[in-house]
Amino acid sequence: MTIERIDNELCNGCGICVNSCPTDVIRMDKENKKAIIKYPDDCMLCLICVVDCPTKAITVTPEKTSPLMVSWG
Amino acid sequence: MFSENIVETDVLVIGGGMAGLFAAIKAKGQGVDVTLVDKSYVSKSGSSIGPHSYAVCHPGWGHNLKEWVDYISRAGEYLNNREWTEIVFKESYARYQDLVSWGVEFLKDENGELRRTKPAYLGPTEALVIERGDGKNYLHTPRKTVHILTVIRKKAVESGVKIVDRTMVTDLLKQKGRVVGAIAFSIDNGDLHIFKAKATVMSSGCAGFKPFGWPISELTGDGMAMAYRANAELLGCEFIDTHNTWAENPAYGFPAIMRASPGRLLNAEGEELKLYPGRLRSYSLNVEFEAHAGRLPLIWEVDADSKVAGLKDRRLPVVGGSVGGMAVHTAEGIWPINTKCGTTLPGLYAAGDSCGTRQVCAVYSGVGFAFAGASVTGTRAGLSAAEYASQTEKPTIDEKDLARLKKVTLEPFERKGGFSPKWVIQVLQNILFPYYILYIKHGDRLKATLTLVEFLKDHLVPKLIAKDLHELRLAHETKNMVLNAEMRLRSSLFRTESRGCHYREDYPRRDDPNWLAWVKLKEEKGKMKLWKEPIPNEWWPDLSKPYEERYPVRFPGE
Repeated sequence: MTIERIDNELCNGCGICVNSCPTDVIRMDKENKKAIIKYPDDCMLCLICVVDCPTKAITVTPEKTSPLMVSWG
Repeated sequence: MFSENIVETDVLVIGGGMAGLFAAIKAKGQGVDVTLVDKSYVSKSGSSIGPHSYAVCHPGWGHNLKEWVDYISRAGEYLNNREWTEIVFKESYARYQDLVSWGVEFLKDENGELRRTKPAYLGPTEALVIERGDGKNYLHTPRKTVHILTVIRKKAVESGVKIVDRTMVTDLLKQKGRVVGAIAFSIDNGDLHIFKAKATVMSSGCAGFKPFGWPISELTGDGMAMAYRANAELLGCEFIDTHNTWAENPAYGFPAIMRASPGRLLNAEGEELKLYPGRLRSYSLNVEFEAHAGRLPLIWEVDADSKVAGLKDRRLPVVGGSVGGMAVHTAEGIWPINTKCGTTLPGLYAAGDSCGTRQVCAVYSGVGFAFAGASVTGTRAGLSAAEYASQTEKPTIDEKDLARLKKVTLEPFERKGGFSPKWVIQVLQNILFPYYILYIKHGDRLKATLTLVEFLKDHLVPKLIAKDLHELRLAHETKNMVLNAEMRLRSSLFRTESRGCHYREDYPRRDDPNWLAWVKLKEEKGKMKLWKEPIPNEWWPDLSKPYEERYPVRFPGE
């Protein structure tokens, strides 16, 4: 599933990945000061976060699925 | 949330990819104040995140400008604007020198010579290589080329360009017919930004619909939609690009396999698909024709001597439609009224894919052309905007209009019930993405689809809701995508012929000279008005030659 995991142990809280993501998938957790995957549905697999992360904490896998269209809105 | 921030600047640049960065740096070089705003982070933005080459036409390297331009006219089926094609090629070397002086590196071979990519199907043209996937891991080849934008961003900051990141512009501000800035909101804290600018450069890219098979989810046609709402003239929305991808991981199949590994494309019956001269193997409509004929799945058969490590099977299933309706670079855009990137609205300039230069037009027929074009039009738009700003008084803002646009910007946030952007995007994608809507076109299907898209525009878009600032950005993107979908469908209906990557089953031939013309559009009394802009006669193909000679590529059914 697209962006899969940000390793909490490896993440140094630098926040570079937040800016790296063109589609605003990653945000900082204000309490823990670590990066979190906030909006995974919008990951477009560009892998810029993986390239930019200085501690190699981010895992992206190539599968992407679309949610079922069951709700009307 | 929603505190107001008024930013006064001489030149406002909207969109921080290649074109926007060039525009900002060049304008700043003229001694004016420059503000560059982007809905993401400048340098990680738009279609500039994944370039692999940069086309340079340079006599010193043995290139012949006329040969290059003639090739583009033939490949682009005579719809390219030859003046712009020439300008881009002529100025590409100077822009390449800019890039090198800013610290951008191009790949060199072991002898220190610049590496160039020159596939046989691209006529006389070639391009410099920024960085290629190394083929070490065919599934995960990250787009390392993005680092060149980081270098250019650094140059912009050093030059004194003021950068406003993660702030989405929703509409242009106008005063007495002149563009005087824009309104935007921060996706981090919700601050409203009112940019008051003497001149504005739009460089926010072309339109797409967040396709699953290509990382261009940012290209939601925001600039096209804003310019349309501000009543600018636009053009070329019928030309839609095609890309293929690997069936096994369609969302991430293309980058390494088809770029790094030579091979041939076979249909389900084992026939090799013809690679038309002047058309990239993956950018022509051949996959779409095979789909329509029921000859899928396609197989990309990697050459036996190709060294792609980790590749277990040389026969890779391929599917089409990975870009799902994205425009051909610079075929669509805001209509430039002159070669200085001016538009029909005073105070508004356009650059990069926002500027409809028609540098290649009916089909994308090169590598690295769009990137070179973005640097050239970025430079021209930046210089023109700086010149206009230095001759113009500080603008006043129409307070009534500003109040209206503030309301428009925030209203998805204030609605209690309605439709989530995520759902409306999915509905739109399901309508547009099948091959038989925007690729294998037919008047009946285009009209039916237009009916549905108009319903989205009239009924769903006015009821979009946003739970947070991320969704507020999505809501505006959705609104813009729906408007761009209407432009695509109406322009496709309007051009009653086939040409380049615009194929009409009900009009399967090129129609010279009736359609040696561009399709323009603008808003008029609440409706989308379309009309023809004729191509100068001196750019026409030789009509005394038989049709088959003018157009070596046949469409099915013609």
